[in-house]
Order: sequence, then structure tokens, then C-alpha cells
Amino acid sequence: MFTKIHRAGFNRRFFLKTSALGTIAAGLPRAAAAAGGTIKIGFLAPLTGPVAAWGKPGLDGCQIWAERINAAGGIKLGDESFDVEFVSYDNEYDPAKARTGATKLIREDGVSFIMMLGGDTWPGVQPVAEKTGMLFSTLLPSDLSPDTTTLIAPAEVHPIYNVTGVEWLAENKPDLKTAVMCAQDDALGLPSVATYLAAFEAAGIEMLDEPLLFDPATTDFAPVVTRLLAKNPQIVCLDTCYSDYVHPIAEQLFQQGFKGQIISCTADFYDQMIAKTSKEFMEGFIFQFPDFDDPAMNADNVNFDDPNGFYAEYNKRHPGEWGAVSWEYASIMDLWKAGAEKAGSAEPEAVLAAMQEGGKGKHAFGDADWWGEELFGISNALVGAWPVVAIEDGKAVIKEFRSIPDWYTKHGELLRKHMSDYGQMFDQRG
Amino acid sequence: MPKVVPWFALLAALIFLPHVLSFSQQEILVYLAINVLIVTSYRLLTLTGEWSLAHVVIMGVGAYASALLTKMFSVPVPVSILLGGVIAALVALVLSVPLFRMKGFYFLIGSFAAGEIIRLLWKRFREPFGGPKGIKGIDPMPDFSIGIYDFDFFEPISYFYFAAIVVAVCLLILWRIEKSPVGLTFHAVHWQDKLAQAAGVNVRAYRTLAFTIASGFAGLGGALLAHYVGTINPNSFDVEVMVFVLTWAIVGGTATFYGPILGCVTLTILNEVVLREMGFEQARPLIYGLILILSILFMPKGLESLVQKLKPGRKSAVPVERAAE
Repeated sequence: MFTKIHRAGFNRRFFLKTSALGTIAAGLPRAAAAAGGTIKIGFLAPLTGPVAAWGKPGLDGCQIWAERINAAGGIKLGDESFDVEFVSYDNEYDPAKARTGATKLIREDGVSFIMMLGGDTWPGVQPVAEKTGMLFSTLLPSDLSPDTTTLIAPAEVHPIYNVTGVEWLAENKPDLKTAVMCAQDDALGLPSVATYLAAFEAAGIEMLDEPLLFDPATTDFAPVVTRLLAKNPQIVCLDTCYSDYVHPIAEQLFQQGFKGQIISCTADFYDQMIAKTSKEFMEGFIFQFPDFDDPAMNADNVNFDDPNGFYAEYNKRHPGEWGAVSWEYASIMDLWKAGAEKAGSAEPEAVLAAMQEGGKGKHAFGDADWWGEELFGISNALVGAWPVVAIEDGKAVIKEFRSIPDWYTKHGELLRKHMSDYGQMFDQRG
Repeated sequence: MPKVVPWFALLAALIFLPHVLSFSQQEILVYLAINVLIVTSYRLLTLTGEWSLAHVVIMGVGAYASALLTKMFSVPVPVSILLGGVIAALVALVLSVPLFRMKGFYFLIGSFAAGEIIRLLWKRFREPFGGPKGIKGIDPMPDFSIGIYDFDFFEPISYFYFAAIVVAVCLLILWRIEKSPVGLTFHAVHWQDKLAQAAGVNVRAYRTLAFTIASGFAGLGGALLAHYVGTINPNSFDVEVMVFVLTWAIVGGTATFYGPILGCVTLTILNEVVLREMGFEQARPLIYGLILILSILFMPKGLESLVQKLKPGRKSAVPVERAAE
């Protein structure tokens, strides 16, 4: 009754073969990889639900990126040019749906590369990545481990870049000596807590209390903020809180009369925060994600193509929706495109080898190194400089690009210690 | 026509169905099979008149238990799946002590609180539960061959066959329980609890029994899920997932055995297949919500009422209950 279709074991070739058979069986007019002069790229991230703010703006940015690349002649592989098309799947930040999405993108849509937010969803996808050899990217390097050989983190080394903000603060506002911190108790919050603790310790800033970890289901932040302010800190650190937390916490800090310094990983939709508080209150708020219309983005070190134009186009299409991830997935595509063109192929293995050749890569904020052996057990994170951003007169302004590797060279041991304390080293996870 | 013919037809359909679906639809089919078990087991509890908000968390208890048994004690996966169900039932039995001091709305809120306590424990204790990140790298079902078919459990078709067999056996047991004197007593506890009590029925014991049995099967479903996806975390079993189970039960109807199954299958296909294929990926929550409101407004007795209308000579799905009213 049945044929023994599984005897040969699974590999990428088998997957592509079965994809074709499945497509015929399903009667769906799906194209194979790169057929018809188009290369398909998978976008597997939350597009709905509470984490959608770190998925959907990225897809919107990618659409602009694809239009620009296609208008400029597409991706050149050898003598041929290919248009780029993004195929999205809303994983709702659920590992089971992420697995289904990865299966669909690889076996039905024939994508050549898949971009993910990562985090909770990566473990659901990892077996699919291992079986197929598909190249994936994540925004969260804490997904990296020695087993994740086809997973790269080329856009951001979250949360390591947060050290640049603290270092800048210590150098430019040396009077600030005490801090408190709060974070949601989850996979995103905890490695960030460890990083900020290392950065504050390295900068000689005293933590007045243990980091306050709140449940991700928290909606009332008044008690959280009251407890933070009880220690009378000079700095309040909001860690890597989702924007759904950053906004109400900032609002509470304002309402409870905090006059000190705020530092946070993100300040997505900061104009709304200013509207809820005041321009004066938000003055000097430090975070890590710039607006791309910043003049500093036109510096020679920046590898992102026409950042000002990209920002203008994004805001024209999606007014008020610019956030931390609006440019990140597009910047990953810059790297992937360069790798594919160098390799002359869209095959995952070839592109990965070309991207990592020489151990260097062109990160959006400057030339960077493939790095991470000590922290992640694999050098699949691209690390270089990262901007420190402050809100000045109601607008995000890049204060400086700072080197993450330089900080790590001096304080790496401290970071590993705190990561280890929070069980966030690669050999402690899972 | 012999009575077995429709069952053979259903069996044949289930065997061939995955082969006409796309790969992603096969994946959805696996989750659908597991969800059918979850919602059907949930209905068993509703027979006694109680609606719990802890059912999905109890499903998670089975998932965590099975995952930990394989990871920490190297228990074979098929055994750990069964033990996952048993442990979920035992946890439910313990929870029933305080919970069944309450009834109705109070039980509903109490079950929600109990479920949240369990979820918070998973988050709080990184050892052994993995904290907020949960557990990953959970052992899959070991592959094996039966001569005519090689089961590779990474493949959704293989896992669907396995899950479908387990779920079918569970549904048969649930069906037999409902049709047994115990099941009839569950109905009595719901509709005539004072009369049942007067007749010597220990109402609280029967509610506990329904809660424990339903939880055992939910735990089994959770274990099936854990060994397929390979990772679980506290968010996989939060109240949002519970709301989905409730909507499947409400939209399908709980008066018949097949009502919740109908709701689960219809809404899952709508949400995961139809709306995605139609290009409404990002508008799904909006459309899904709208359809829910419309179905409750215009089909208050659930999808099962449509089936009842199609059945010749049977106007009501709930003669026993309504008669008792």
C-alpha cells in the first residue's frame, strides 16, 4: 500500500524532491527555488500578536528593500539576474507554528534563505534547519549554540550591544553612580539583564537592588515603578523590555516624579512616549536604535545603502511605525545578497561560506567580525560598532558609534560571569 | 448498509488524507489531531456542568512531565507519553481537592488561578522546568518500521498516523465513558445535582472523576505535542491557548460528542489554512473574531445544530438534558 519513501534518510536534496512531489499532489502552483528569475526569501516572524512589533515592521522594511534591489537590476548570480520576492509566514511567536512555517517556506515555497526573529520560536525550527541545511538568520544571538551551524545573527548581537549605552553614559555623565533595573522574566529579558549588570559593574555604577523581574503578563506597572524608585536611584534601566512595557513604565516613571536618567535597549515609537509624558521628561533618554534620517547615518563607516532615503520611504508608507527592527531584516538581506553574489549561487551552504569568508563582514554600522565562540559556542554573530542614541528635543540623535569588541576585550570575563549567573551561557540553555 | 462501512470509510480517508495535503497542511493535521483530543477531553469535564480554565495548563503538565521523564530519566518516549497523561491526571486529582469546594463561576476563576500557579512554577524554577525559555531538545518518537511502512517521526505524515491512532483510542475510551453509567451520572450531576445527591450520588466525587479523567487525556495530548515540536515553554500553555479551546467547544457545541471536534476542525482549517491561503495572514485575528461573533449570534447551539438539522428525524441533539430541564 505504501512506498518506503523514508528509507534513504533526509537531506536537502530529498526535501526539494519531495517538495516538488508534494506540490503536484496538492495541486498548488508553487515554484521551485529561484525558478522564473526570482529568488524567494522566507520571512518567518510574528506578524500578529504581542510580539508583532518586532516582526511586521521588519517585513515592511524588506518590501522596500526588495523594490529597490529589483529596480536596480536584482541579484546577480553569475551571468544571470534574479528579482527578489519575500514570502512571509506569521508564526505568532509560537514554536509549533514556526515549525509549520519553516516547512512551508522550504518545501512548498522553495525559499533560499529564511529570516526569523528567533527567541522562543527557534527551538521549534531547529530540527527543520538541521534536516534541510537551510540557512536561517535570527535577531537574537542567544539562539546560537555549537549545534546551530546554519543559523547566523548578522544584524544585531542582542543584548551585547547594550554595553555601549552604559559605557557612553559613564563617560559622559560621570556623576551618575547608582542604578536599578527591571525586565520581563523571559528569554529576551534575562540575557539582557546579565549584560546590563556586567556593563554597570564595568562602568563603576552601583546596582542598588537586584534586577526586578516581572511576569510578561504584567499590565499594571505602578507597583513595579514604585519599587524601583524606592531605592532613590539616579539611573533607571528598562533592560530589553517590549514596547508594550517600555511605554507604561516610562509613563509611570513620569507620573511618580522620577527626574533621573533612563536607559533602555529600545524606545520604539518614542514619539508616543513623549506624547504620554513630556519632551522635558524624555530629554536624554538613552537607547540603542537610531532613526535612519540621522545625519550620522551618512558617515563613511555605515554600510546600509541610502539610510535617509530608506527612512523617508518607510515613513511615507507606514507613518509612525518606524521601530527597532524596521531596518534590521533589510540589513541582513544586504549581507545575504553580497554573499550570494560572491558565491554566484543562492545555495545556503555556498552563501554562508561566502558571507563568512575571511571572518569579516559588512555590518550596517560598519565593518565587523564573525564572532561569538566564547559566548555562543560558535562564531556566527557579526559584531562591530553599535550606535548610542539619545532623545534630544523630542528626536532620536546618534551620540556615537562604539565598538562592542573593544568593550568585550576589556570586560568579557565580567559578561561571561553574569551570563553564567543567569544561566544564559550556551551550555546552560535548554 | 452495515454499520462498519462508514467507519472503514473514515479510516481510509484518514489514511489517505495526508497524502493529498501540502507539507504545511500535514503539519497542521498533526496539531489538529492533538487538539481534537484536547477539546474532546475538555467536553468530558463540561458534562458535569463545570468549565475549567486550567485544561491547557494541565495539558502542559503532561507535556512537561513527559519531556522531563525522557530527558532526566531516559524513559522511552512512548512510555513517557503515557506517564505524562498519568501525571497530569494525578496533578488534577490534587487540584480537585480545593477546586471542588467551589462551583460554577467560582470554580472557573479558581481553575484559572490554579493554572496560573502551575505556569508560574514552570517559570520560576529553571531547574528542572527551564524557566521562561522552557525545555528544548525534547526527544522525538524513535523511528521504526512495520514492514510496509517506515515511521520517521520527523515527518508529519508518520507522526499524524501515530497521533491519530493514539487519539482514536482515547476518543473511543471517552465515548465509552460517556455512554456508561458513569457518564450518565456526569449528566445527572450537571442537570439534577440535588436529585442525584438525594439518590446517593457523591456529586463531588463524580466531578473530581470527570476532572481527573479529562486532565489525563489532556496531559496525553500535551505529551504528544511536546515530542513532536521538540520544545515547550510556559507560553505554549497560557490562557490565550485556553481561549482557543473554549471557542472550539462553544462554536462546535458541547451537547454532542462530535460538537467540539467539529468546532476544532472547522476553526483550525479556517484560521490556519483558508485565511492564510487567501492572503489575510495579518488580518486573521480580526476575521477570526468576527466569525466567532457571527457564529454565536446566528448559531447559538453551535455547528452541531447544523448537523442535527441534516439528520432525518432528529431535531434535537440534547434530548436527555433538555428533558431533564
